[in-house]
Amino acid sequence: MWRRLRALFGGARLDRELDREVQFHLDMEADKHVRRGVPSDEARARALRDFGPMTKHVEETRDARGLPWVGDFARDLHYAARTLAKSPGYAAVAILTLGLGIGANAAIFSVVNGVLFTPLPYANGDRLLLINHAAPLANQRNFGVSIKELYDYREQLTSFDGLVEFHQMSFDLLRRGEPDRVATGVVSHNFFDVLGIQPILGRTFSDADDDDGADAVLVLGHEYWQTRFGADPGIIGQVFQMNDRPHTVVGVLPDVPHYPNRVDLYMPTSACPFRSAADRQIVANRRAFSGLQVFGLVKAGVPFSAAATEVATAGQRFQQDFPEIYRADTGFQARTSPVLTALTATARPVLWLLLATTALVLLLACANVANLTLARMLRRDREFAMRVALGAGRGRLIRQLLAESTLLATVAGIAGLVLAWTTLGVLTRFVGRFTQRTDAIGLDPWVLAFTMTVAIGSGIVFGLVPALSTKSDVLPSLKQGSLGSGVSAGRRRLQDALVVAQVALSVVMLVGASLLLASVWRLQRVDSGYRADRVLAATVFGNFSKYPDAQSQLALYEPLVERLNQLPGVDAAAITNAVPLVGANPNETPFDIEGRTPDAARRPRGDVRVVSPRYFEALNIPVLLGRAFSPLDHREAARVVMINQAMVRYWDGGEPVGARLSVDNGTTWWTVVGVVGDVRQFGLERAAVPQAFIPLAQMPNGLGGRVILRTAGDPAAVTRAMVDAVHALDPDMPVEDVQTLEEVRSESLAAPRLTALLLSIFAGLAMAVTLTGVTGVIAASVSERTREFGVRMALGATRGWVLRMVLRQGLVLIACGLALGLVAAAVFSKALSAYLFDTPPRDPFVLAAVALVFVVAGLLACLGPARRATGVDPLVALKAE
Amino acid sequence: MRPKSLDLLQGTLDLLILKTLALGPMHGWGISQRIQQTSNDVLRVNQGSLYPALQRLETAGWIDAEWGASDNNRQAKFYRLTKTGQKQLRDEQAAWERMTGAVARILAAGNEV
Repeated sequence: MWRRLRALFGGARLDRELDREVQFHLDMEADKHVRRGVPSDEARARALRDFGPMTKHVEETRDARGLPWVGDFARDLHYAARTLAKSPGYAAVAILTLGLGIGANAAIFSVVNGVLFTPLPYANGDRLLLINHAAPLANQRNFGVSIKELYDYREQLTSFDGLVEFHQMSFDLLRRGEPDRVATGVVSHNFFDVLGIQPILGRTFSDADDDDGADAVLVLGHEYWQTRFGADPGIIGQVFQMNDRPHTVVGVLPDVPHYPNRVDLYMPTSACPFRSAADRQIVANRRAFSGLQVFGLVKAGVPFSAAATEVATAGQRFQQDFPEIYRADTGFQARTSPVLTALTATARPVLWLLLATTALVLLLACANVANLTLARMLRRDREFAMRVALGAGRGRLIRQLLAESTLLATVAGIAGLVLAWTTLGVLTRFVGRFTQRTDAIGLDPWVLAFTMTVAIGSGIVFGLVPALSTKSDVLPSLKQGSLGSGVSAGRRRLQDALVVAQVALSVVMLVGASLLLASVWRLQRVDSGYRADRVLAATVFGNFSKYPDAQSQLALYEPLVERLNQLPGVDAAAITNAVPLVGANPNETPFDIEGRTPDAARRPRGDVRVVSPRYFEALNIPVLLGRAFSPLDHREAARVVMINQAMVRYWDGGEPVGARLSVDNGTTWWTVVGVVGDVRQFGLERAAVPQAFIPLAQMPNGLGGRVILRTAGDPAAVTRAMVDAVHALDPDMPVEDVQTLEEVRSESLAAPRLTALLLSIFAGLAMAVTLTGVTGVIAASVSERTREFGVRMALGATRGWVLRMVLRQGLVLIACGLALGLVAAAVFSKALSAYLFDTPPRDPFVLAAVALVFVVAGLLACLGPARRATGVDPLVALKAE
Repeated sequence: MRPKSLDLLQGTLDLLILKTLALGPMHGWGISQRIQQTSNDVLRVNQGSLYPALQRLETAGWIDAEWGASDNNRQAKFYRLTKTGQKQLRDEQAAWERMTGAVARILAAGNEV
């Protein structure tokens, strides 16, 4: 073995030795002939001849040395590097094309790897299940769990070691008198134990923190501790005012991502005034305070599927026990998903789509480089023939070609990594719109391994195709003086096939990207039911401890709206909790219509919103029937409500205006005074849901204070005046999320727009690569047929005829690829339906546009070579032979 | 014109090299000349198989090699039989003799008929 290893690593030295040994042999042989009287030149020649094919012997001797394959490979690589250095143009184009393909894959894979594959950075990350409730028939996905349901689960479920809750609130933390709006995670006291997070300072929450009369305690998130407290190690034990209570900091978390939401700090459920108040009502209202995120730690050894079944069964029990709450027509389901899956639910399909696209890009790049390589081999035929004549076997030639392609692909892989590294920042920001897991994205060893595997794999793919087209019959190539013509009919067909495949692949990608673009375009133009231009929105959230009840809130908001309406440059101002496209899900409140027997199973439901009188005016929502609210609909006046058009269907053709409805099981009745147009409140892609609007004066509590200002000019210009108006009433009230509604609207489309944009970039890249491929193949064919064109033109063919002939040749290739691609696109575009808004996956307009673009671009790509063909001088072409 | 010579049977070249080297260290060319001369030009060593064979035997550990000066003071690679090579030679020689003996007996038996 030692010898073999020495043979492997000392290869160069051993080669030199072999050279000298053979030289010695030849010298001795020549001497022998000289001694017999042969002239020295002749003697030398005879010695050489007797020795036989030198290369072959040398190689066989090398092979006998041990581990020949590896040694050969190293030598092949060395030779490949030299060969490629001699054709830098080819090498550069190949590396660029492959590098783009590999880089795109590396970048997207690093995201997929970070977001989807990297385990959660919690000790118990792989045993965590998220419980969520859905009512698919009522169009509700993933609404939260209520307190009572959580308690029921804790009682009934045996598959879990712990069930903990999370919900997010915004509170004011008074830091040396300065109010600080903090995103607060309200969690069970054992939340961090169940997730498996150890504090870096102090402790997390304990059982005792939930005791009656216990001090309110806080655990700070790492980032908040660093940015607001300068990572002060003495923070433990400090006391801050929050919700009119002193809160003591007991711990600081390590720098781990916060799930499900990024928050500044955490408090136990007993410290949250709303959560603890709700705790006392749960007997009265089963659904009180729903909206908890519930995490379960599955017992060791219990499979997820068993735990999921148990949760689903408990959900069915809810339905059996309380049919009036969990109504059959909503399709209520209790479901579980692994936390990782739940956190990546929106990102997953987008990422897979992108990865599939980049895989296509790479495939296409391989086809393109394979084609380049084939064209280059045409010029190298004589080199190969020579090498075969000197004793190289076909296997050696194939290995040599593979070494070249692998070397190229490896360099391209490194280039790809650099590309991935440079684009990762942009990509991470993009993915941040879909998931909070962006912190796990990076070029880790898995990404490196993936990239190099992909690189070498593609090297083998694009190297093998041309390599297998080598022939052992080399005589024709050797005999031919000029570039071979007839030899290469098979190879020509292979090149054509590769170009057709490239065209087909890029057509598929272009169709996909165009469908998404068409979808985004339609989304942008969809009638949202309101006018977003010239509207400014902001959040003004009254401190809960300062404005604890309806009366105090009304005393704040009514004068505020009054002031805002008087601001110069403001046409109409309103306050509401209903800014379109802000806020995730409709609240489906069941209600009764007066005079109708309530049907427990089919109770009408609507999304109930609170608005101040000029809300519809501020958003330009048309009043279709009846009237809008007025200041006369005050606190003591008759209860009134407005409904949207989608709600009218509950009246089954009857007249809604004047009818009365109740949202509290008939305790109070509200008269419908008007019907307004539908608004796409919860996403431009989601159809309007039934909605009811209640005047601020008649239901002031529960109002998330959002102000809306319709302005005469630039909405951003009134920002200062608006903030001043708020602070004139309450200097401590934070004004947040100041945005124009156009920004809100544009923001809501950012994710699909960016997805479409990325896909278009890839498709454009693919198309560019394909077109260079088309140009290359046609150009090669033209230069091969120079003589033929010369003859034809000498025999009377016009330049126009030659031009048409070349163009036709290109067009046939493109047409074949286009046909294949369109068929494939028609088959596969169904998979895109989930991403498309109002756009059929086989949109004939899109398909036609893609076909047209490709034919035109393809013709342009052929034009260069075609013009070269018409420039052939018959005389020159014929003389050249 | 030289007398028609035989190509070596597959596998016999190794045996002949080992046998030749049993007489003393020798370089490649010398080995080929020796075999040719000793066989009265009946056996000709194809150079194309000589060097791979030497390499093979060296890798197997039956011979080793070192550089030295040849008769005419040129640098040459001299091959030498190793201990295991001597044993291998005995084994191969015995096997060869058994086989040729067997072949000879069969041929002789054919003559008697």
